[in-house]
Amino acid sequence: MAEVKEITRKLEEIHEKIKAEIPWEPVGPTPMPEIPDLRQWDMRLLKTYAPFYAPFCDLCCFCTYGKCDLSEGRRGACGIDIATQQARIILLACLMGCSAHAAHGGHILEFLIERHGPDKKIDLGTFIDVEAPNIRTVVGLKPETLGDLKTVIEYVYKEITHLLDSTHFGQEGSYLDYESKALHASMLDHVGMEVADIAQIVGFDFPTSVADTPLVDMGWASVDESKPVILLVGHNPATSTTVIDYLRENGLYDKVEIAGICCTALETTRYSDRAKIVGPLSRQLFYVRTGIADVIMTDEQCIRTDMPIEADKVESRVVACLDKAMYGLEEVSDREVDGIVRDMVEDKKHFAILDAKKAAEVAVKVAMEIAPHRRKQWIAEEEAVELAKKCTNCGMCERVCPNLFSIGDGITEVAKGNFDLIRQQFNLCIGCGKCEQECPNDVPIFKIMQVAASKETWKIRAGRGAIMDTEIRNVGAPITLGTIPGVLAFVGCSNYPDIDDVADMVYEFARRKYIVVLTGCAAMVAGMKKFEDGKTVYELFPPDFDAGGVVNIGSCVSNAHISGAAIKIANIFAALPLRANYEVMADYVLNRVGACGVAWGAMSQKAASIGTGFNRLGIPVLLGPHSAKYRRLFLSRKEEDDWRVMDARKREIVDSGEPSPEHLAYVCENKEKAMVTIPKLCIRKNDTPQGRSIKLNHYISLYKKYMGGGLPEDLHLYIRRDPDIPLVYKKEVRAHLQEIGWQPKEPVGLPTLIGTYPSKVPLDAVIH
Amino acid sequence: MSSIIPLHRVNVLTGIKSARVIEDAAQYANLIEKAKRPLLVLGPLLREWSLDGKLAIEYALEIAKGANIPICATADVKGKMMELETKPDSVYDAVEIVNHLKDPEWQGVRREGNHDLVIFLGIRSDLEEQCLSVLKHFAFKHLKTMTLDKYYFPHANYSLPNFKRERRWKEFLESLLDNLKKGG
Repeated sequence: MAEVKEITRKLEEIHEKIKAEIPWEPVGPTPMPEIPDLRQWDMRLLKTYAPFYAPFCDLCCFCTYGKCDLSEGRRGACGIDIATQQARIILLACLMGCSAHAAHGGHILEFLIERHGPDKKIDLGTFIDVEAPNIRTVVGLKPETLGDLKTVIEYVYKEITHLLDSTHFGQEGSYLDYESKALHASMLDHVGMEVADIAQIVGFDFPTSVADTPLVDMGWASVDESKPVILLVGHNPATSTTVIDYLRENGLYDKVEIAGICCTALETTRYSDRAKIVGPLSRQLFYVRTGIADVIMTDEQCIRTDMPIEADKVESRVVACLDKAMYGLEEVSDREVDGIVRDMVEDKKHFAILDAKKAAEVAVKVAMEIAPHRRKQWIAEEEAVELAKKCTNCGMCERVCPNLFSIGDGITEVAKGNFDLIRQQFNLCIGCGKCEQECPNDVPIFKIMQVAASKETWKIRAGRGAIMDTEIRNVGAPITLGTIPGVLAFVGCSNYPDIDDVADMVYEFARRKYIVVLTGCAAMVAGMKKFEDGKTVYELFPPDFDAGGVVNIGSCVSNAHISGAAIKIANIFAALPLRANYEVMADYVLNRVGACGVAWGAMSQKAASIGTGFNRLGIPVLLGPHSAKYRRLFLSRKEEDDWRVMDARKREIVDSGEPSPEHLAYVCENKEKAMVTIPKLCIRKNDTPQGRSIKLNHYISLYKKYMGGGLPEDLHLYIRRDPDIPLVYKKEVRAHLQEIGWQPKEPVGLPTLIGTYPSKVPLDAVIH
Repeated sequence: MSSIIPLHRVNVLTGIKSARVIEDAAQYANLIEKAKRPLLVLGPLLREWSLDGKLAIEYALEIAKGANIPICATADVKGKMMELETKPDSVYDAVEIVNHLKDPEWQGVRREGNHDLVIFLGIRSDLEEQCLSVLKHFAFKHLKTMTLDKYYFPHANYSLPNFKRERRWKEFLESLLDNLKKGG
């Protein structure tokens, strides 16, 4: 009885927080879900897509019982086994990612509430009514003001604490439960990201309800080096927008260059299309070492942790603007501006300034003061040749390279006056600088690479935020029927096997009329290659969320608009209620929305949580080859696994025999294989014969193009009946099917996992 | 435990049990011959690697043929194999084949039972080491792993050392081939 009372009291509290009395939709079964609330959904997913662990380390060294060897079935002193330890590390990674975005959201929210007040209305424009699909679905709240977002972020903070608690010694002992918690943390990540970006759009007046955002300049050559240059690095636009405000208010905007690296660059161009994007994370150290930046302003996430040391080498000055990364610098937020400027100019000091307005004023004044006296010059080829002669090509650089190539080979060629190889290698460089650190002859590799760095500029479309409801209405049917063959989300960091890969993939699939959306570093590198007529994918393809569109959504936190778009398809197109109704939304997306994430350069913990959040929502994610180092994938075994689903029309469980989507988190070895795997991961049981034949047409043609001919080995698994076979390959495929003894099977009328596992959700909830 | 440091530092072992280094091709041949159901997993780097003008994949195919070892072609290797007029016994990506191999009940690429020796060659070294780690931890009761690449992989059961000179690697592969032919 006491327990029932407790549950009732808790529910009442939740209902109060989510304003349950406002009847915009009935409150679903899981408002503000806690760890156990969506566990059954996770377990159902994990039954088909079992965790695949590739331990990076055989030991556990988390406590003083250790180090404990967990190899060959051993358990640690606490009882943990190797699989559970991997899942625990994955949960920690997802929590790091989730907390990075949530803290970003929390900070930006406080910053904007301070500026606009908590009652500032959330209005994403004429074409967006469902402004916060993740928040509505997960939390059950329809946020109307910035103050409402605070309720949401406090819920996320609370859950993070409980999840982190479970990683302590002597807590969770099941890898499946750790995975469920990682899925929970990552779902919350999308909520935190949505809070951050909605706040930014509303508070900074970023573009919204518009597709055709401005084309902005990208590449270091777009930065006018003759002017004072302020380089912004990180993710949080509180700093960059305040600098731009200061420049505008003081009539200085045409006298100072504002450039950015990583997501802050994307955010800054959402605020001002005159700001320049230098490039992705992988170009950070390289660009800092050129010394072009007079002042470097850091905010949070993905910043070099040795930024002041690197800045010292080239006499740039650093202003650390957020408490997340203060580098041991003296905090001078309370000092008067002139004194700080004097110390930075004369004594070459760096400071932490946590007052955005003061930081902006200091940065501008210091940059204008020191720029005329600093030498900014790229290395000449002759000098590079001389420097390269110190290289003995001993191979130490290759040993430490995360991308496993020998820059020594390229440097040796430079010494001979040949720059071809190093130009190719510059595309492979992920910019960590470990090669130079390891070099026994102190060859200044990054300096020499300046001769390889392209001085081209590119056009990228400024991030546009949420997909419009009107667009969802237009594409909902073709996506779920399969006639738009897929929605591809290129996301994540810049740890690429080759920096051109993403642009190549975007080009290939946009040409084939997939919808391509991009965020973060992936959005940048997609624009760093020119195709026909010297145009980037942003110039070649329309910016619409429609077949063949290439849409820059924005920064990392804008990923929430991608998961949000998938939810909106279920809610707006299929008219399924979303309020506190996560399982129904995820089930719809998994079975009917042909979407696939591509995190080709995923590196960070944030990428882990973004991807895992997509997974809980039923969106598969394809990763680059190095991503096996994340330690965990979600794989099926297509021929052996159980592909039974509920046919909600017949109200019976049927064996679809079809592995769609085949995996939830998957590593491909090279770009060629990725080109073939992506169309396959867009196949869904709900496809109509016409939609399926379109999808298989791409699967087969890409297979022939990249795999050297023939038909895909698993093609028969995706052909239900003859009309599924693409017309152009009819004869060849029919002959193949006959040869292997293929038998037709009945398509599933209304596929769902609801009804195949214990859930509070009734089957009727998925019928629309 | 071996004290060899792998060529690529990303693969440095953080653990206790590491691969046995074998430089003698006769020993390798012996291990292969003793296996009841070996499998050769070939990766996409074989499309690029060449030893004095002969593609590394050609050595791999000769080894497979010489010892009657079925081949699993990963990524886009199948295309190159078809050019060389050899059809792989199976086509899976690296993580897919490893996912199958870790299940003792899996019936193998020839449906004759799971493999007891898996030989890797030509996969990007960080991914190959992770694949070996999966099998080391989750398949140690039913199979052994071996690598034929030119550098050391700690998570394998048997590995070649880091060959500083490609000539030594070439000599090893040729000697292995000779030994397998003799054995056959």
